[in-house]
Amino acid sequence: MKALRYALVLSLALFLAACAGPSYTPPSTPPPPTAQASGNSAVLALLDQAKTQAAAGQDASAGATLERALRIEPRNPYLWQELARVRLEQGQYRQAENLAAKSNALAQGDRSLKAANWRIIGQARGKRGDLKGSRAAFEKAEQQ
Amino acid sequence: MAKRPAPKKPATKAKRKTAAKSKAPAERKSPAKAKAKTAKRKPTKRKTAKKRRFTLKRLLAYLVLIGLLAAAVFTLYLDVTVRARFEGKRFALPARVYARPLELYPGLKLSPEDIRHELDLLRYRRAADPGQPGSYAWNGSTLDLRTRPFVFGDGSQAALSLRVEFRGGRVAELSQRGRNKALAIARLDPPLIGGIYPGRNEDRILVQLKDAPQWLIDALIATEDRRFYSHYGLDPLGIARALVVTVGGGRVQGGSTLTQQLAKNFFLTPERTLQRKFTEMVMALLLELHYSKQEILETYLNEVYLGQDGNRAIHGFGLAASFYFDKPLNELSVPQAALLVGMLKGPSYYSPRRHPQRALKRRNLVLEEMAQDGKLSPRQLARAQAAPLGVVARPPSGASPYPAFLQLVYRQLKRDYRDEDLRSEGLGIITTLDPVAQRAAERALSGRLARLEKDRRLKSGTLQGALVITSTQNAEVQAVVGGRDPRFEGFNRALDAQRPIGSLVKPVVYLTALEHPQRYTLATLLDDSPLLLKQKGSEDYAPQNFDKRFHGRVPLIDCLVHSYNVPTVRLGLAVGIPQVLDNLRRLGARSPLPGFASSLLGAGELAPLEVAQVYQTIAAGGFRTPLRAIRAVLTSRGEPLKRYPLKVEQTSDPAALYLLTTAMQEVVRRGTARSLDRYLPASLDIAGKTGTTDGLRDSWFAGFTGDRLAVAWVGRDDNRPTGLTGASGAMVVWGQALAALDPQPLVPTQPDNVAWAWVDPASGLLSARGCPGAMNLPFIAGSAPTRRAACGGSLEQSMEELGQGMEKMGTKVKRWFERIFD
Repeated sequence: MKALRYALVLSLALFLAACAGPSYTPPSTPPPPTAQASGNSAVLALLDQAKTQAAAGQDASAGATLERALRIEPRNPYLWQELARVRLEQGQYRQAENLAAKSNALAQGDRSLKAANWRIIGQARGKRGDLKGSRAAFEKAEQQ
Repeated sequence: MAKRPAPKKPATKAKRKTAAKSKAPAERKSPAKAKAKTAKRKPTKRKTAKKRRFTLKRLLAYLVLIGLLAAAVFTLYLDVTVRARFEGKRFALPARVYARPLELYPGLKLSPEDIRHELDLLRYRRAADPGQPGSYAWNGSTLDLRTRPFVFGDGSQAALSLRVEFRGGRVAELSQRGRNKALAIARLDPPLIGGIYPGRNEDRILVQLKDAPQWLIDALIATEDRRFYSHYGLDPLGIARALVVTVGGGRVQGGSTLTQQLAKNFFLTPERTLQRKFTEMVMALLLELHYSKQEILETYLNEVYLGQDGNRAIHGFGLAASFYFDKPLNELSVPQAALLVGMLKGPSYYSPRRHPQRALKRRNLVLEEMAQDGKLSPRQLARAQAAPLGVVARPPSGASPYPAFLQLVYRQLKRDYRDEDLRSEGLGIITTLDPVAQRAAERALSGRLARLEKDRRLKSGTLQGALVITSTQNAEVQAVVGGRDPRFEGFNRALDAQRPIGSLVKPVVYLTALEHPQRYTLATLLDDSPLLLKQKGSEDYAPQNFDKRFHGRVPLIDCLVHSYNVPTVRLGLAVGIPQVLDNLRRLGARSPLPGFASSLLGAGELAPLEVAQVYQTIAAGGFRTPLRAIRAVLTSRGEPLKRYPLKVEQTSDPAALYLLTTAMQEVVRRGTARSLDRYLPASLDIAGKTGTTDGLRDSWFAGFTGDRLAVAWVGRDDNRPTGLTGASGAMVVWGQALAALDPQPLVPTQPDNVAWAWVDPASGLLSARGCPGAMNLPFIAGSAPTRRAACGGSLEQSMEELGQGMEKMGTKVKRWFERIFD
């Protein structure tokens, strides 16, 4: 029985290893659609509201709305990323960078999310005049 | 932040003014000064009059002239005073402090009992049909309510009619009543939890004349000033009567119009002298000259003193309506309005709470006056006089139910606002207080301390404690308890009790080591054997373990799990005491910390709130966010004045922090905090650390779940031993508080550069699942041991090796393996 299980695992492992081979290409990184950002309708409603506010140039209100959403889902990396975007827009570059890093820390395997975070970090560093750091961040974004 | 300068403290202002006023008439009387003035004013005349003789008549004429001039100057001065006060801000309005607004949404963990408490705190009223803002009705497990309109820091929300359905301790559905429209989210207005009062502790709710019911005005005029609408500030009949009494040797009294009363309350001290009376009359005339009857009446309604709540003075009919009847002013009935008007004569003498009979008699007298004035029919009079007083037994308290939290709010506000602005500008402060968490924290602390004293035969009332609860990722302070009596306004242990933190410092020592993955991993064997430290300038130091034994070579993780002192000191010395203390500061400690070896065992003293800041950064995965008690500050009109946005700063390597968190979860699973499972299920994977100081003086526990962080301290104010360890004292308080909050499990996010491996605890070398004693531990990439310990060499082991090879593909596959094998 045990041997059979091991055999199963072994074959599966070989299969997965094959999958993970050179055939893998990094996906392009469009910003994730809102619907995917959360399974909670309240969070989605707040995220929508924040995006509307940000589009209308009401960055402070957008930030406050995102904080409301973060109180409901404090470990949601999409929300942290959105907040990073708002701070970037507001010219708070250090906050933007730290918030994007926070989003990265919670992103787990989500490569496109991480790539977007690295691009935010790259922009924030560039705006602060840290060109070397900015380039490094954009390279990281490419590697995701 | 402050815009225009606030008026100076009213008390001192009034005093100064009377001082100035008493000077003016004194000048008139003083002949020396009068002469000096003449000399100044008419030098030429004096020259020509040199040869002429002063007649008595002429002197008298001069004196009269001078007197008139002085009176004119005095009147002008009063005029300026009156107008300055009336044109400017008339009242100092206290800052109002609110708890967090409760957000309602489907899926929210909230029991019907929780929302009952919230509605109580909000002073919503039960109603058959909740159509009024601030009312509600239950229908089984469905709650219908209408919210009050409120302006939040991030926008306003009109009054909403909501239907909330509860199922299984959660909000199952949320909809807009009447429209049958499902809502994704809505919030209640935030409960008022306290105020920051002006210097004299005056409190008031400003009302407009149009908010006052007609019968209130009727009662006021019938009782206090029948000719209010026809006189010019003074009532000659009243004055005549007062004069007769005064001349007859009685005290100066009576005859005041409403305008005079306002002048007296607004500008003068309560002393009763003729001179003050005169000033008051001039001021009344001036008020009538400049302002309409409506304006004077409205200011009067807001100014008058109507009672005392501890050291808080109740001013104005708006606050009085709430203080005595728990209602807004416009909802007062005829007898209720009459009662308040009756109390004007002596708010404490006619207090309806302390002297209900007296108050009732007085109220009925007022009602009679109203009837005499033709404002009440005989039938209305009879009905009103038969009505009970209707005063609520428990006034909505101005004293905050959460004084410890309010102290924290006040301190954070003081960084950005001048004290006088906080006490006069009528600011609205929206805080982070979560009444649900606060209630759980208060109950746990007072309940558990009493229980501990009983169980351990300690003298009742000797144990003290503190508890702080925050949200892990947003660093919002949800609850602060500063002692076992949560209503006590004095010493706040959560903020101000600086105590040695004991083993609570150890996670920082271990984090500092784990930040050097090439030197230290969770599997590194540390030396737990006798240690003698010789330091220049201090006594030899030989740290002991709590169990007074030595354990040989122990894996790093187990040294933390069992809180061994000796290997911790060795480790701290190896990584450097300054490095450890730097790290402690980086995580958020602010107090000065001594750089001794004993600091590695927590000789440094921190207050519970500061400990919470340090553990906050750990709970947030190495991102420090200053603990916040305030979300936003609003102007008196509800416009946002300042926000306190969420800020984060990465302070630690997420991988090292992940390792530390795993070790702290083991502390709860199998270490010094394992008995926490009596309060909370092991499946929550809580991370925590116990702390005990020398002689069992301080008992600490700090820990976090997926959603909340809490720090508990238990000890005695006189710093004597309590006989409690961290686990037997603070941890039981912690456990009971968190158990009441149904916390979320802790699932730390694993960084990409961390992988798990099986390790042999005796050698610290690579092992495999199923080998005796093997531990599965996380390692930062490249730091896992590469040499292998012997383990019988079974097929199982080689399969496990395959599993480890797979880790390069990602931990998901690894977990999948584990699932299959489990």
